[in-house]
Amino acid sequence: MIEKREALAKMFSAKGSKINTNRGAEYYDSLMETMKKRLNELEQTAAASKMSITSVLEAEGLDRRDFMKWASAACAALMLPASFTPLIAQAAELMNRVPVIWIELQDCAGNSEAILRSDAPTIDELILETISLEFNETLMAAAGHQAEEHLEEAMHTFKGKYLCVVEGSIPLGMDGLYGTIGAKAETFKDHLLRVAKDSAAVVAVGTCATFGGVPAASPNPTGAVGVQDVVKGKAIINIPACPANPANITGTILHFVLTGQVPELDHLNRPKFAFGYRIHDNCERRAHFDAGEFVEEWGDKGAQNNFCLYKMGCKGPMTFNNCSIVRYNSGTNWPIGAGHGCIGCSEPQFWDKYAQERPMADTHFKAPGGGVEKTVDEFGLGLLTAAGIGIGIHAAASVLAGKKEGDE
Amino acid sequence: MIKLIEKIEGEAKLDFNMKDGKIDFVDIAFMSTRNIENILKGKAAFDALVINPRVCGICGHAHLMATVQALESCYKDLQLTNKAKIIRELTLNFELIQNHFKWFYLTLLPLFGKKQQVLKATYPTQLMAKAIAIFGGQYPHTSYAVVGGVVCDITHTDLIKLQHYIEETVKFFEENLVRSQSQSFLESENVDDVLSKEGDLIEILKIIISNEWLELGKSYDRYIVFGANSYFTKGKSMKTRLSNNISLTSVKESKQETSYAKNVSFKNKYYEVGPLARAMINKTPLIKDAHKRYGDSMFSRILARVCEVSQLLHHSKKLIAELDLSEASYIKPSQEISKLTGAGSASVEAARGSLIHKVELENGLIKNYEIITPTQWNLSGGTKDNPGVSQKAMIGLEEISIAELVFKTFDVCSVCTTH
Repeated sequence: MIEKREALAKMFSAKGSKINTNRGAEYYDSLMETMKKRLNELEQTAAASKMSITSVLEAEGLDRRDFMKWASAACAALMLPASFTPLIAQAAELMNRVPVIWIELQDCAGNSEAILRSDAPTIDELILETISLEFNETLMAAAGHQAEEHLEEAMHTFKGKYLCVVEGSIPLGMDGLYGTIGAKAETFKDHLLRVAKDSAAVVAVGTCATFGGVPAASPNPTGAVGVQDVVKGKAIINIPACPANPANITGTILHFVLTGQVPELDHLNRPKFAFGYRIHDNCERRAHFDAGEFVEEWGDKGAQNNFCLYKMGCKGPMTFNNCSIVRYNSGTNWPIGAGHGCIGCSEPQFWDKYAQERPMADTHFKAPGGGVEKTVDEFGLGLLTAAGIGIGIHAAASVLAGKKEGDE
Repeated sequence: MIKLIEKIEGEAKLDFNMKDGKIDFVDIAFMSTRNIENILKGKAAFDALVINPRVCGICGHAHLMATVQALESCYKDLQLTNKAKIIRELTLNFELIQNHFKWFYLTLLPLFGKKQQVLKATYPTQLMAKAIAIFGGQYPHTSYAVVGGVVCDITHTDLIKLQHYIEETVKFFEENLVRSQSQSFLESENVDDVLSKEGDLIEILKIIISNEWLELGKSYDRYIVFGANSYFTKGKSMKTRLSNNISLTSVKESKQETSYAKNVSFKNKYYEVGPLARAMINKTPLIKDAHKRYGDSMFSRILARVCEVSQLLHHSKKLIAELDLSEASYIKPSQEISKLTGAGSASVEAARGSLIHKVELENGLIKNYEIITPTQWNLSGGTKDNPGVSQKAMIGLEEISIAELVFKTFDVCSVCTTH
């Protein structure tokens, strides 16, 4: 048992899974210089949108204090030391210098919806009123041919400077005819390539745009793929999850404003500040996992007492995302908080591999880091990952403990 | 002349045929699809509970409700507690409410030459989304309903939060849409009463009157509602002739050559679905009065949708008072899903009208799945002799911009329609 524990500890301290939140004074000093220089440069450029954060705040009756509170929260979310807070505030004031073109492809509009409900006291105002959202079908006034002209103009004016935000997957089947846009019936693929071409970076928002999402679920009838399978030779930032958390979208844009660069990414091009930890690492029900207290059936005593949902098919241990910290709908709640296990919606191909109530035992998917996750009640079948072994033993032991309790 | 209609969660292509300066016919086409029904085939039954809410980012919750009820209808003697039923109904109400706010401030206002009011749309929407998140964990795309009940076990503290969100939303409605006590608005039986008040809704209604648009947007005056619950009644109405005896077996879907959307009809006739249909079947006094004066014109359609916000907020308060937290959230079904073979169906009232799901299971796997969405009802593309509901509403109009307005009073959703 002790050996397995050590193996588990080793996996968590492995270099690849490490998030470095303290890189030393030298690193942060030089980062601060880079950011200051970038912000000064931005300040010299003309505002892409007339709205400034100051006027928005005034109009909304919010004071500087509210704004600074938001800035320090955002600073922590980006894993920067508190001394960066004034820079974050300045960056938010300069958000209207960075144009954003948001396009919708094969989607359900869920991410646009999520951002309409985005986070924190003043962030709505920040996003909707000051980001220069040059083109977004849901929010802009223009439509049809007028919208097309508007898009062309925005792409031309902000050539090489705008962020191209993409929502939805790209259907490649039937020569792309499962999804066309505009009067000329341009395929989603051509539309994406055209808008991405002159962008500074492409931000794929939501699991459809990152990995194909629902449309790509087997048998993938429309041949749906993610942005990174179509756009080559561009910086691509993936912000998966279904829907993507607005806090992570804002964070990424803010980072771009601050540095002019993409944030540090993991091997799936996801920003590490958001996808550096697993759901499991910071889960509010983690203590019950550690204590071997599990929900065994919906509505049972365990469910009523917020026990761990691992045996009900929670994919928290295999899913990298910050839901357990940021939560959804201005921090109101999140799926595990409501008693439903994580469905792993920010991982590639999760529809086929993870799914609803299927316990991990029955999924036979390859866990991040390799290996095959096996049943929680039968362990020792070899080829298990360290995490798999640790969790397997743990859950099995709890079944025995549960039985004992029942016998008494 | 082809016009692209956007801001409907995707886009639709409308091809207007003009004759003597009037719209003679409109071809409606939706040009993208994800083919969700095919994705569901062969998958484990419960996978549908996670995949289907993703059909739509705006009414995904209605899809979750339709899915769980369709699956439950495959069981023999499946039991649900009152608590589970009430919670499911509450969250669906909240989804309808937030949709109507967004439709009014983001879609409708600009069509009346007014500025789109993003913050007015997001404020009440956020409150309602938070209310859903209390039960469902997140919004959009919750999966908190399972066969046999719901997974959440809420506490009295949660209820207090919930009541606060509802009260704030009521306050917003009273301060913005119709400036008056919502009680008096709800009880109003006369359009003149309402027009004597002030507010964003009243302004829009007055524009319709002063522009002499009261005859615009009329269609068949035929309504259908399938999703019954503690507030909505199932039935169909031809003008005011009501019949509550309708069956899903008379509902037919048919493919179209030039669009990814399928047509849907009841006994080979097109029916309007949505808030106006629901109010006609429910015989809501205020809407009945509007209908008596202006028929199924856009005036009645707009008033019915906004009026529903107030009704559902009020009804939700009543439901919360009936909620008994000591009841179970979940009752385990007596049959194992892996051994279940059979067929079932369910209809729920989504924001835009009746949503129907039909499922066939074989040993717990999905053999066939069929989704019929509200926009399919309203936007069925008929022929010149037998046009669909929205087509009929647009035929005869002179200006394309007015046609777009009429089209959008149906609150169209593109992603749902083609799914």
